[in-house]
Amino acid sequence: MDPAAEHRQQLRSLRDFLLVYNRMTELCFRHCVCSLNYRLLTGREESCLDSCAARLVRANHRLMSAYVGLVPALLQRRAAEHGAAGPPAVPGPAPGPAAPSPDAPGAGT
Amino acid sequence: MDPLRAQQLAAELEVEMMADMYNRMTQACHRKCVPPLYKESELSKGECVCLDRCVAKYLEVHERMGKKLTELSLQDEELLKRMQQGSGSA
Repeated sequence: MDPAAEHRQQLRSLRDFLLVYNRMTELCFRHCVCSLNYRLLTGREESCLDSCAARLVRANHRLMSAYVGLVPALLQRRAAEHGAAGPPAVPGPAPGPAAPSPDAPGAGT
Repeated sequence: MDPLRAQQLAAELEVEMMADMYNRMTQACHRKCVPPLYKESELSKGECVCLDRCVAKYLEVHERMGKKLTELSLQDEELLKRMQQGSGSA
């Protein structure tokens, strides 16, 4: 892969990671911060947020492993079906999501 | 790609992400603080105070999640490194 394409790929991965970060913030805020009587986070809210972050990251890892495990078989099946039926009218989707950037939560459980 | 262009792209990405965060925060705080009762056009004092606190808390949550994500990524990297070292020496 030439450096420009690699850089673009890295940027895409970073963008994905930052979007996940924003989504996680929104989700965990919605579930953990229930009372707006105080300006500061309570101890309960803090521990809820820590657990929420860890759970979401682990769920993401697991999803990624499952996806990576299932997609090759799916693509093979699709290719076989198209091979039997004739050339496809519309090109299929790009295989797999962008690889996570080095500072993103690594895959694997 | 030259470093200046890379810096510019990174800055653009950061701005885009901040805008995304802002939109999510607006949506979340509106849901929490402004009930869907449209009798009056003015916000009550309680609703105003709620929105102020909501923004403060959301930004704190954002910072906290960032630190937690970094911590978890570092842990994963460590684990991966140890696994690779282990398989290398085996």
